[in-house]
Amino acid sequence: MRSGSSVLIWLAAVVTVVALFYGMDHLVMNLQGLPLNLDLSPAQ
Amino acid sequence: MLAGADAGRSIALMAASIIAFILIISLSVHLSDGGAVGWQPVAQAMANTLEDSAANADAKAEEIVTAPHPQRGDYPYIGISSRSIVWVIAQMHLNFAAFVLAVPIFVVLIEWLGLKTGNVRYDHMAREFMKISMSAYSITALFGGLLTLVLFMLYPDLMRYMMHVFGAQMLVYAFLFIAESLFLYVYYYSWDALGEGNRKWLHLTLGLMLNTAGTTLLVLANSWATFMMAPSGVNEVGEVIGSIWEIMRGPLWNPLNLHRFLANIAFGGAVVGAYAAYRFLSAKTAEEKAAYDWMGYTSNFIAILSFLPLPFAGYWLMAEVYAYSQSMGITAMGGILSWLFIVQAVLIGAILLAGNYYLWSGMERSEGSARYQGFIKYITFVLVVSFLVWVTPHTLILTPAEMKALGGSHHQFLGALGVMPAKNIAVNLMLIFTFLSFQLYRRSDKVAQVSWEAAGNAFMVTIYTVAVLNIVFAGVYYGYFTSTVYNVGSSVIQVASTLMVIVAGITIDGFMYKGAKTLPSQWGRVSNRSQYALFALPITFTWLMALMGYLRSSIRTDWHITDIMRDNSPDNFIPAIGYAGNMITMVTVLFVLLVLFVFWVATRADSGRQKVNVEAEASKP
Repeated sequence: MRSGSSVLIWLAAVVTVVALFYGMDHLVMNLQGLPLNLDLSPAQ
Repeated sequence: MLAGADAGRSIALMAASIIAFILIISLSVHLSDGGAVGWQPVAQAMANTLEDSAANADAKAEEIVTAPHPQRGDYPYIGISSRSIVWVIAQMHLNFAAFVLAVPIFVVLIEWLGLKTGNVRYDHMAREFMKISMSAYSITALFGGLLTLVLFMLYPDLMRYMMHVFGAQMLVYAFLFIAESLFLYVYYYSWDALGEGNRKWLHLTLGLMLNTAGTTLLVLANSWATFMMAPSGVNEVGEVIGSIWEIMRGPLWNPLNLHRFLANIAFGGAVVGAYAAYRFLSAKTAEEKAAYDWMGYTSNFIAILSFLPLPFAGYWLMAEVYAYSQSMGITAMGGILSWLFIVQAVLIGAILLAGNYYLWSGMERSEGSARYQGFIKYITFVLVVSFLVWVTPHTLILTPAEMKALGGSHHQFLGALGVMPAKNIAVNLMLIFTFLSFQLYRRSDKVAQVSWEAAGNAFMVTIYTVAVLNIVFAGVYYGYFTSTVYNVGSSVIQVASTLMVIVAGITIDGFMYKGAKTLPSQWGRVSNRSQYALFALPITFTWLMALMGYLRSSIRTDWHITDIMRDNSPDNFIPAIGYAGNMITMVTVLFVLLVLFVFWVATRADSGRQKVNVEAEASKP
C-alpha cells in the first residue's frame, strides 16, 4: 500500500472514531440529564 | 439410545428427588404453623401438623395481616448458630442451582449451532455438558429441600410471613420445579431418539422449555431475596396492599435477575471448563486430548464472554441499592463491608488473569500465533497495573504510629487510587485488554483475504486507543474534578466505551475474517499448565459468589425484611469479615469436593459406552 493512502486511512479512522466517541459521550450524558461539561466547573 | 439401566436409574433418582422435595416442602409448610421453639416443640409440631387439615392451615394463614415481631425466645435454638446452618445450605443450593440452570442455556445454543452448521462435534459437546449437569441436578434438589426444611424450622415466623406475602407464587415455584425436572430428563434421554430431521427441532424445543422453566424459577426465587432487601407491595407494617406482581417487582428485582442470569452462565461455563481440564489431564489418547482441549476452550469462551458484562450488571444493582436506600448503599460500600470490594477485586483480578493466561497458552495451538505473541507483555502490564489500582484500599485501619508515618489517614499519592473513579478506570481497562487477548487468540490461526484489511485494522486500533483515552479522561476529569453527579454519570461513558470496543471488535473481525485463510493448528497441543487456569476459574467464582452473597445479605443489617420485620435472633448482626471468610472458604471447599464427585460420576457413566467423537483434525469453531 502506498504511504499516502495509508496516512489517509489512518486519518479517516481517527476522525471517524473520535467523532463517534464524542457523539456517544454526548448521548450518554444527555440521557442522564447531564451536559457534557468540559469547562472544569462542578456540576450543579 | 442410552442403556436402559442408566435411564431407569436416572428416572428413579428424578422421582426420588421430586418426592423428597415435595415432602420437605409440605412438611415445612405445616411446621410453619406450629410456631415451634427448640427441637422438642419441633418434633411435637411435626406430629401435630400431620393432623392439621388444609382448611385449618388456610385459616391460620389468613390471621396474619402484618409482619410478625418475634422476640429472642421465639427463635428455635439447637446449639449451633441458625444463621450459619442456613448460610452453608443456602450457598450450596445456590451454587448448584446456578450451575444446573446455566448449563442448559448454552447447551441449547451449542446444539442449535451443531444443527445449523451440520457439525456433529457441537452436538457431542452439548450432550457431554448436559451429562455433567444431570449428575449435579439431584444434589441441587436435595440442598433445596434441605434449605426449605431448615428455614421453616429455624425461622418459622419469617417463613410464615413470607408464605403469607407470596402465597400461591410459591406453589407456582414448586410446580415449575417439577416441570423443569421433567423437561430436563426428557431432553437428555431423548437426545438419540429425537436426533434426526424435524425431530431435532422438537428436541431443541424441549431444551427451550427446560430453559424457560429454569429461568422462571430463577427470577421467582430472586423476588424473595429482593423483597427481603427492598420490600414492595406491602405497607410500613407489612400488610399486603399490592398484587403479587407488585410484590415481586421491587426496585432490586430486575438488576438482580440480570446479574444472576449472567453470573450463572459464567459460573456454569467455568465449572464445565474444569471438567474438560480434568478429562484433558487424565486423557490417554491424542484424540481424547484434542476433544477435551476444544471443550475446555469453549467453556472458557462461555465463562469469559458472560463475565465481561457482569461488572456492569453489578454496578446497576448497587446503583439501585443506593437509590432505594442511601444508608444501605453506604453500609455496603462505605463502611466495614467496603473491604469486601477489595477482596472482590482480588478475586476478579484472579479470574481475568487466569482467563487471559489460558488464552495466551492456547495460542500455542496455532502456528500463526507468533504474529501476536509480542502483544502479550503489554497486555500483562496493563492487567497487572489495573489490578494493583483496583486492590488499593481507601480506608485503612491504622495505628497512630502508622498514621503518623503515612502523614494522615490516607496515603499522599496512593489514597487517590482508593476511590471509585480510579477503580472504574482499572475495571474497564482490564475488560478491554481481556477482550484484546480474546481477539488476538481468535485471529491467531487466520489470515484475512479482504482488500480492506489495512483499513479494518486501522479502525480497530483507533477504536481501542480512543476508548482507552475516553475511559481514562472520563474517570480522571469527571471523577476527581467535578461533583458526584458527574462522577456517577461519567461511569456510564466508560461502560459504553468498553461495550463499543467489544461490539466493534466482534463486528469488524466477523466481516474481515469471513472466508479467511486458515493456518494449521492442532487441538490438544497446549500445555498441562494452562489447564490449571481452568480449575482456578470455578474455584474463584465460587468464592466470589459466596463473598458477595454475604455482602448482599448483610446490608439488611438487623432486619429480616428491611424496615418491615426486625431480626431479633441471636445472629442479628453483620458477621465479622474473618468469620465470614471461614464460612465462605468452608462452603467453597465443600462445593469443590461435591463437584469432583459429580465429575467422577460423569466419568464413570462414560466408561464403556460414550466416546467423544472428536477427531484430531477438528478445527476451531
